[in-house]
Amino acid sequence: MQMVTLNPPLSLEVGAQHLTQLLRSQATGEGLPGEVRSAWLTAAQTADLQQLFTEQRYREDWKYTPVEFFRQAWALDTPRAPQRSADIAERFILPEEVRGSATLLPAVASLPQPTSPWEAFLGAARYAQHYSMKEGAFLLAPSHGEGVLPLLITISVAAGGSVELLLTPQSKGLLVLRVHLHLAPGAQVRLYLPTDTQVSGTYLYMLLSAHVEREARFESFDLTAYAAWKRTEQKVRLSGPGAEAHLYGAARVQPNTLWDQAIRIEHAAPHTHSNQLFKSLVHARARSTFQGRIYVHREAQKTNAYQSHKALLWDATAAAYSRPQLEIFADDVRCTHGVTTGFLQGDMLLYLQARGVPEAQAREMLAGAFLAEVLDRVPHTGIQEHLRHRLGLPE
Amino acid sequence: MKTETPMLQIQDLHVSVEGRPILKGLNLEVQAGQVHAIMGPNGAGKSTLAAVLAGKEGYEITAGDILLEGQSLLELSPEERSHAGIFLAFQYPVEIPGVSMVQFLRAALNAHRAAKGLDPLDTADLMALLKEKAQLLKLDPSFLTRSVNEGFSGGERKRAEIFQMAVLDPSLVVLDETDSGLDIDALKVVSDAVNALRTPERAFIVITHYYRILQHIRPDVVHILADGRIVRSGGPELAVALEEKGYEPLLATS
Ligand SMILES: Nc1ncnc2c1ncn2[C@@H]1O[C@H](COP(=O)(O)OP(=O)(O)OP(=O)(O)O)[C@@H](O)[C@H]1O
Ligand SMILES: [Mg+2]
Repeated sequence: MQMVTLNPPLSLEVGAQHLTQLLRSQATGEGLPGEVRSAWLTAAQTADLQQLFTEQRYREDWKYTPVEFFRQAWALDTPRAPQRSADIAERFILPEEVRGSATLLPAVASLPQPTSPWEAFLGAARYAQHYSMKEGAFLLAPSHGEGVLPLLITISVAAGGSVELLLTPQSKGLLVLRVHLHLAPGAQVRLYLPTDTQVSGTYLYMLLSAHVEREARFESFDLTAYAAWKRTEQKVRLSGPGAEAHLYGAARVQPNTLWDQAIRIEHAAPHTHSNQLFKSLVHARARSTFQGRIYVHREAQKTNAYQSHKALLWDATAAAYSRPQLEIFADDVRCTHGVTTGFLQGDMLLYLQARGVPEAQAREMLAGAFLAEVLDRVPHTGIQEHLRHRLGLPE
Repeated sequence: MKTETPMLQIQDLHVSVEGRPILKGLNLEVQAGQVHAIMGPNGAGKSTLAAVLAGKEGYEITAGDILLEGQSLLELSPEERSHAGIFLAFQYPVEIPGVSMVQFLRAALNAHRAAKGLDPLDTADLMALLKEKAQLLKLDPSFLTRSVNEGFSGGERKRAEIFQMAVLDPSLVVLDETDSGLDIDALKVVSDAVNALRTPERAFIVITHYYRILQHIRPDVVHILADGRIVRSGGPELAVALEEKGYEPLLATS
């Protein structure tokens, strides 16, 4: 691709077309089993990102998300192979990639059918990494120079295994990352997703999915100190009795940035449990969007599902959209959801100021207190401290 | 009246909220070392006066002035007023989940010190000070690590206000119905703490509906605030008369 400067910038449609071409050319389906591969390739060859603007079902999912990167698409070049880099976590080691026999891994076999053009492209992406693990703490830090990187990562966690994962993409341009985890019965996975990239013109779009078998437990912590544009989709399928998912998120949505969270939890078996707690602190001219869908199948009796999203607006130019969606087809279910959006409370600010705390510091204290509810739950002390520091909270 | 500048002078103060006049020409002078009680019917404007002193937003000063040590307060932010020595014990102290009392008072104290050109307190000195004052208010030290006012009973909140007053060592204290919600023992604890802090340099304005607290904290002057003005002032006997007869006869003769 030649870099060309266009004035005025491209329309969304032309940008989407450009990206579609780029992603199609990167869809080779390497590492997929033969019979599945051709299906995925067909999906990728017919997928078209312009559908995001034209088809109702996609428009719903992208309703509150400004897709500005499409306008920049002319500047997004062909990708380089992903490199890895280590940063915040000492205890985390690089996992060993599985080659050759990768197609036999449960995470490859349980890769869900694509429900959007993005998923089709990524499922068949040329850059695919497959991992199989049982115990330990592993670092995944995909990075590339500049451009657009479509990357598929699958992770199979063995029965009874216990794994901590740290996923910290380092990128410039558009990183579209598809991560699929398979948790065999009794497996426990704790996934950390810290984002702290100051680079403007960086777009991070993560599609995570987890297939959680019986008695397995999936936890994710999406911790955003800074991201110019970040959308995370998390799709969790609780497929066996006793399966659990706990999704936490804390974001400081810095001025002029986007933080976007789209969640779908599927309770497909009885006695499954899910919990979502997300908090976003939204600065001036920034936007926070949260869509949380809970889907309870008819047979998923005795299900518990909780969801809470709170947005705190820094001032009147900040915007937050929250949309809980519950679809419940079982009758013996305990399900609660709560959404609140509000400004920093004037009476709390006054109280702190009236005792002498300067306004700026008082605001920081309230902001810290707001996010602390989530950060306090981050079990890894190194990550917790790092994020506290990056989020500007007291130690 | 003494000849030196009063600590606090409120001159013909008119205040409106959302365009509605609440204070309508209020005058008040308080000398250092004095205790003034302000009593008055519900909705008279007592808490409004306290809020305006503390610098709360949303109150429009349409006329008049407030002078502290001869300097107008009106342009000062709430934190600057606090640094200047004003302390308001709120009628309804808010809960601040996630901010511990220690964290809060460290920030407050160090801001006061910075305003005086002093270095921040080190942790050991801070904790020693907080524990000493907690003891004065008979507060369990565990409350220092709890979130500010969160889950506190009404009485605990009021005690915590006086505790903060003791820590911050202000020169002008406004107690807005600090006595309501206190049981007899707690009232005694709070009053003793206030009395212990009565010095020739410090002044108190005690807003209350009850004579009870004034038996513990003996006021020098009692005012009746009604419909946005001080309508009567007198000695402690005025509070006794109020307790016996209610507001009506006193307001009728004013
Ligand atoms: N922020 C506000 N917005 C609207 N009205 C207000 C506000 N603050 C005070 N007021 C009104 O001003 C009047 C005086 O209220 P204020 O709280 O000062 O009374 P008070 O004398 O403290 O009463 P109480 O004895 O019940 O505490 C009331 O009519 C009240 O409704
Ligand atoms: Mg009042």
